[in-house]
Amino acid sequence: MKKSIAFISFVLAMLLIVTGCSKGSNDSSSSATAKTVDGSKVSITLLNSKGEIQTGLEKIAAQFEKDKGIHVEVIACGAGEVPYTKITTMYNSGNAPTLAILDPTDIVGLAKEYALELTDQAWTAETEALNLTIDGKIYSFPFCVEGRGIIYNKEAIESTLGREFDPKSINSYSSFKAILEELRKKGMENPVFIAKEDWSLGAHQLGFIYDAYDGTTAGSEVIINELKAGKDPLTVDRFNQFVATMDLMLEYNFAKADPLGADYDQGALELACGNVAFWPNGCWAWPNLVEGGADVNGEFGFISFVLGDDTSDFANNMIQASASKQIMVDKVQSTAEQQAAAKEFINYLVYDANGQKMFVEETALIPAAKNNPNAPLDPLGKDIAERTAAGLLYTSCFIAPSDHWSVMGAAMQKYISGNSSKADLASALSQYWKAQN
Amino acid sequence: MKKSTVFDIKAGIMFALPGLLVFFLVVIIPFVYGFYLTFTDWNGVSQVKSFVGIRNYIDTFKDTEFWSSMWLTLRYVLISVLLVNIVAFFMAYLLSNGIKGQNFFRAGFFTPNLIGGVVLGFIWKFIFSNVFTAIGKSLGAEWLSKSMLSAPKTAYFALILVTVWQLAGYMMLIYIAGFTGLSHDVLEAASIDGATGMRRMRSIILPLMVPSFVICIFLTLSRTFMVYDLNLTLTKGGPYASTRLVAMHVYEKAFTSRNYGVGQSEALFLFVIVAIISGIQVWMGRKKEVAA
Repeated sequence: MKKSIAFISFVLAMLLIVTGCSKGSNDSSSSATAKTVDGSKVSITLLNSKGEIQTGLEKIAAQFEKDKGIHVEVIACGAGEVPYTKITTMYNSGNAPTLAILDPTDIVGLAKEYALELTDQAWTAETEALNLTIDGKIYSFPFCVEGRGIIYNKEAIESTLGREFDPKSINSYSSFKAILEELRKKGMENPVFIAKEDWSLGAHQLGFIYDAYDGTTAGSEVIINELKAGKDPLTVDRFNQFVATMDLMLEYNFAKADPLGADYDQGALELACGNVAFWPNGCWAWPNLVEGGADVNGEFGFISFVLGDDTSDFANNMIQASASKQIMVDKVQSTAEQQAAAKEFINYLVYDANGQKMFVEETALIPAAKNNPNAPLDPLGKDIAERTAAGLLYTSCFIAPSDHWSVMGAAMQKYISGNSSKADLASALSQYWKAQN
Repeated sequence: MKKSTVFDIKAGIMFALPGLLVFFLVVIIPFVYGFYLTFTDWNGVSQVKSFVGIRNYIDTFKDTEFWSSMWLTLRYVLISVLLVNIVAFFMAYLLSNGIKGQNFFRAGFFTPNLIGGVVLGFIWKFIFSNVFTAIGKSLGAEWLSKSMLSAPKTAYFALILVTVWQLAGYMMLIYIAGFTGLSHDVLEAASIDGATGMRRMRSIILPLMVPSFVICIFLTLSRTFMVYDLNLTLTKGGPYASTRLVAMHVYEKAFTSRNYGVGQSEALFLFVIVAIISGIQVWMGRKKEVAA
């Protein structure tokens, strides 16, 4: 009897120790983020949802600590892990990151409850057109600019055509069609690559019908609201133009025989090798192109995702670029000290000479702040920087519900594989938006 | 006598307590909490959860995609359970007759089960989209040069194929254990009575193997119903969401569409359906069990 009581209390004690330990370790980890580490140094965390810049960010964080005495721990969001799910988990476990790099849609979802208002920050003047405003207030720092259109491989085109290629000459549906025909005639049978990924098809390609409405985010809201109200996509000009361009590219699709077998990585490879001339995608594809064997100084760049035959249409002369990643500062679980440190980190990226330089060199991203004097290093980034200077960008960034890319991506896959008609695609789009009311 | 009963209960509690506690913490509490969430409109992160009554259950009934993926899953489960068990049973039968290299084959067939579903999915994805297509192209065979994963029917078949490949080895082990446990006396008696070949299989071996069948069918049922990893890495629900099994649909509902309430209530439906089917299966199997 005594023995068994002793044993029960032993088991309970063990359990207490186990749970006590885990609690203790939680405490120590959160205190590492919540308070100061050694009494003088503030420590903050940064959730990074762009896997490819993890090492770059860590280097910036190390330099920042050296310059400003604030420790920044960069937390990676694992490959395949959805950033929103990750930050949700972190908030629910009381372990929220001080700074979080997220997509605009996620910021919109979190801003009012969790994000510190940043409207009064000086850098807002440097990022003006790219600021994400929610009810007139700014809750996030536009971290980097990403642009998308149709990437070309100039060398592949010129060696096939045997003449010079001027990307600016492609400024309408007809001129695009003409060059595709010419390429086919001269031996490049199928010069376009279309990747099957749902995020690419659903968000980036189909997204042009919203972004190119009038080139502003407000304009994209107009068209989205019209679709929600039940407007038939078949009566929307941009939708018809988009499908026409898509059909044209499908006619010249490299993976025509098996459109859903063509993945993003293969796209990078085929374009880098010059097996295709065009690949509708964005500047984030550069690291993949390099992996595919593209020359770092190669002649790559963007043409517009042409829509219709009007050569004076902005959509045919500009490409879309927006601040596709935003940084928010947590206001709920961080201390005032940490919030100040987080603001300082953002200022470091915008104003400090080291911060500016390292941002461009270590992350290979295009800064949203226009006061950064360092030019991007890769051809796609250079193209966007030149277009920024020449005013040849439209900065619309449509905000859609978080499942838009997945639902409409599936509808687009069905369309490019020939398993649905234009009317089916239109009705899928219409149904999706009507269900959002 | 009395003392020993009290002691038994105490000892029982002592040994069961840690397990019970963990079970309570990681299964019961989340389950109850999840049940509570089905009555709210929580988006996964908001601090406020408003009570919405049974709206999520109504939405679940209205969610046609949920029911179509449920139907897809039921067919997948039926085909996989049949194929896995047939293949496993015959592999076990062949590999328990003392053929040459028996242990090598057993280990070989079991290995796929040691590889996690995620890795397995990626490996097979590469095989289906790159290896098979390369072979097809070099042979000029058109049917083989298209990736199996790019059309709904073949992708569904690919999913089943990999499932069978993964699970059959595991079930084979259980069947081998069953064969090894068969009583020699009974088999010998049967052969003295003149039962050989199919008769011996049908009247003696199969009835005695029922416990193995019950375990194997239960394991395959629950594992195929809940499959997510393989679905995610092999087809990602594609092409165009045609192979999205129900577990993946629930995940997407909760996390991609950020609708925890509906996602939770759909998960609850899934739980009830799986519980009923597994319950019926075990109950029917137990009735058929015979003693040697």
